[in-house]
Amino acid sequence: MNNIYLPNLVTIEDIYEEAPDVRSFRLVFKDQKLRDSFEFKAGQFGLYSAFGLGESTFCIASSPTRKGYIQCTFRKTGRVTGGLANLSIGDTMGFRGPYGNSFPVDEWKGKDIVFIAGGIGLPPVRSVIWNVLDRREDFGKVTVVYGAKTVADLVYKNELQHWEERNDVTLVQTVDPGGETPDWKGKIGFVPTVLEEAAPGANNAVAVTCGPPIMIKFVLNTLLKLGFNENSVYTTLENKMKCGVGKCGRCNVGDIYVCKEGPVYTAAEIKKMYNDF
Amino acid sequence: MADKLLKKENLGKLIESVLGKGGRFIAPSTDARQVVFKAVAKAEDLASDYILARNSYKEFLFPQTEVVAEFTVGKDGVDLRGTDVNPKDTVIFGSRPCEAASLSALRAVFTWDFIDEFYTKREDKTVVLTVACTKGDEACFCTTVGLSPETKDGSDVYLKETESGDYIIEAVTDKGKAFVEKHAAVFEDGSATAKPLFIPAKIEGIDLDKIKERLAKTENYADPVWGELTKKCIGCGACTFVCPTCHCFDITDEGTAFEGERRKNWDSCQYENFTLHASGHNPRDFQHKRWRNRFMCKFNYYPNKFSSKGCVGCGRCIRVCPVRLDITEVMEAMSK
Amino acid sequence: MENTLRQKAKELLESGEVKVVIGYRWNRTRTRTTPVFITKPEDTDQLIFNPLCVNNLSLYLTRKFKDIQALGKPAIVAKGCDIKNIVVLITEAQVKREDVFIIGMVCNGMVYKQELWKGELTPQIMPTKCHNCDVRNPHVADFVIGERSTFTPPEKPEGMVFDKIKALDSKDPSERWAFWINEFSRCIKCYACRQVCSLCFCERCITEKNMPQWIETSAHPRGNLSWNLTRAMHLVGRCTFCGECERACPVNIPLNLINQKMIQVVGEAFDFKSGYDEKVHPPMIVFSPDDKENFIK
Ligand code: SF4
Ligand code: SF4
Ligand code: SF4
Ligand code: SF4
Ligand code: SF4
Ligand code: FES
Repeated sequence: MNNIYLPNLVTIEDIYEEAPDVRSFRLVFKDQKLRDSFEFKAGQFGLYSAFGLGESTFCIASSPTRKGYIQCTFRKTGRVTGGLANLSIGDTMGFRGPYGNSFPVDEWKGKDIVFIAGGIGLPPVRSVIWNVLDRREDFGKVTVVYGAKTVADLVYKNELQHWEERNDVTLVQTVDPGGETPDWKGKIGFVPTVLEEAAPGANNAVAVTCGPPIMIKFVLNTLLKLGFNENSVYTTLENKMKCGVGKCGRCNVGDIYVCKEGPVYTAAEIKKMYNDF
Repeated sequence: MADKLLKKENLGKLIESVLGKGGRFIAPSTDARQVVFKAVAKAEDLASDYILARNSYKEFLFPQTEVVAEFTVGKDGVDLRGTDVNPKDTVIFGSRPCEAASLSALRAVFTWDFIDEFYTKREDKTVVLTVACTKGDEACFCTTVGLSPETKDGSDVYLKETESGDYIIEAVTDKGKAFVEKHAAVFEDGSATAKPLFIPAKIEGIDLDKIKERLAKTENYADPVWGELTKKCIGCGACTFVCPTCHCFDITDEGTAFEGERRKNWDSCQYENFTLHASGHNPRDFQHKRWRNRFMCKFNYYPNKFSSKGCVGCGRCIRVCPVRLDITEVMEAMSK
Repeated sequence: MENTLRQKAKELLESGEVKVVIGYRWNRTRTRTTPVFITKPEDTDQLIFNPLCVNNLSLYLTRKFKDIQALGKPAIVAKGCDIKNIVVLITEAQVKREDVFIIGMVCNGMVYKQELWKGELTPQIMPTKCHNCDVRNPHVADFVIGERSTFTPPEKPEGMVFDKIKALDSKDPSERWAFWINEFSRCIKCYACRQVCSLCFCERCITEKNMPQWIETSAHPRGNLSWNLTRAMHLVGRCTFCGECERACPVNIPLNLINQKMIQVVGEAFDFKSGYDEKVHPPMIVFSPDDKENFIK
């Protein structure tokens, strides 16, 4: 029987401590065939199980251009993520997916791309960033604006450094006022403000933004001010999900099932939705 | 033309015939002082005098709780075993026309794109024998949502009671025809006059098109009338549990850290936890927003998304609601 | 009675003494009653009172109903038995006495469930609480409506809660256990019993705590038993036997039997009945050196 709720078994190949209570897993499928054939697109998500505790939804944080493994990044907030955090390298967990729609990266050929992320909103964006960087010649200017509450809360610190050093990426890092350390070289201020200062050009450009809902709200305002078109600003909706496959009736925003028709939407699409998120 | 009849005294034989072939026979029966759908073994178990069973029979196609996988966590990894469902042939006897019409709504949800075989395999093996209503109560409003006791959609076999307690049968679908053939021995040819049907009066002041139009406008989402109409709701979820078209569920693990099972359990959009995020944010932070979702689900999402009826007018939610929040009163207000 | 009620409600709203009157109104077909929240003096003629007014409206005084609390000071239409719950809410610091205006209704009994109503209140359709009621004349109220009641139901039908408890008590423990396992096996874990109870006011019920998972969420015998027993234990010495949980239960689990049995146990052990005096705290939350210990068996 084709059991849509049955996860695939994956092994934790590596664990990275990203920030307090935030960690990443590098996962490989136990099944060799699946390991070779598994494909996904940037923006898609999965359901990760800690057996005995349940499933939790997060995006796939690695890039589809990197084959053979997937990476996920999560914050310890509840029963399942708490259980996942207790697992070690070599342990087995479950994965179902990929589910949902994706960022239309192919449509962005030749355009400038601005990524704006806050806190734990970087993982979904990271998948797209690497997807773009791995095909760097297809795109114009690449700008990343990333902020967190404190320096410690910035995730993917090694990669931030790598992007900093690359001269084909403009990285602007910021922390909220009070969150800086004595040797902090980045900006101090909230993401929307820092974005406005950085003022990436809106001409022939798309923007991708993920983060806390309140940040997204202000980032959207700023982007519009900078001249971005609502149709070329993309974000993801983080609704509560259980099944991931359009059955459990939980993730809907009006008649839109985020797990199937989302999680990626343009700002124009979001504006047309019922206020249910 | 002669009718096909199921004589009252042959009902027991039909049950025997179904059980004898390894099937189960689900029918309205009295349990704990109320009439509910349950598995019965003999004709005497059937309730004789009832309008509509308290529960819907969706639980026989979509159980309240069901194991979707089992796991054992050992030293060298996890042994994960997915559940296979091998449903029995199931006969639902005594469905009413309204609830028969609800099956296409459930099917639509469980089959758009991904296919939930836990549901489809059971439904495929289910034959619905509808007995048209000769009685009703003030909560029945099928005619207001475009159905009626004469509706045959969703019924495999459509039965009408006669004055003497027999049934005139009409096989509606191929599944129904096959069923009648399979149990041919219990049916007879003959002719009889059906009892007059109970047809509830259409509720004046309710207009489904107007409701649809009003709900389609996102600006009406924040209309304070939602709160006025529904703040008395206590969020008990009973309405969704008895509703034949409600399909929402939770997926949860039970057991120990070493072995256990993953279950699919009925859930309800009327619960505060339903959409509560781990961060503490809840998009539906007031009960009236949860109720609004239920109403939108029935009269906007189902029709738009699945081209099916979300509400079949069975009135169960009205009968069961401890604060008597009557969906038809909201329909009336939304028709303005 | 209804005229006095409407008049009083109107006065209260007009003078601004209260901002909302929590009461009952007819449904669309005038066959069933349903709770209503009246905020405008001109709407007070919707208010009604009759034997179909079964709901214990004290529920709407709890913090769960944020939007009702936001309206301002309420007046509540309450029967004596509903007032018992208000008293417990006051004792347990959920409501301040001065923050609610109690319109006490003299009451000669209600139907057990509205569906049973055939136009006349007969003893057969009255719940046990009404047969044994000692608060027909409201015991705590700001304003009482109705002629002083001396009514006693004419005959007690067989098979009321007290008889059932006696019958159960006479069974041996394994039979009793089997009885309850069978009753609880129908539970669908909808939690209607909790939601309808004004004394189940915990903002986060134990069922919603999943770290660790105290109560399994599936409706199966193991989880059902732990839920039903936990709920019962949390209401010991507090439950007033208003019967709302049993009325709300969609699968007719006889929760009143448990509730009344607990009331009897607490009554025998502590000589306490909840809901009569807001100054007396329930025995489960106070310790007194002369508490009996013989229930620890
Ligand atoms: S919403 Fe109510 S009336 Fe409509 S199908 Fe569901 S239970 Fe029946
Ligand atoms: S009304 Fe609520 S519980 Fe029922 S199907 Fe819709 S979302 Fe699910
Ligand atoms: S049955 Fe009534 S009170 Fe319970 S959730 Fe449904 S509408 Fe609300
Ligand atoms: S218990 Fe007493 S006050 Fe309550 S409804 Fe019955 S008779 Fe009225
Ligand atoms: S109301 Fe009845 S079915 Fe629902 S949880 Fe309570 S005991 Fe169980
Ligand atoms: S997560 Fe279940 S329907 Fe979307």
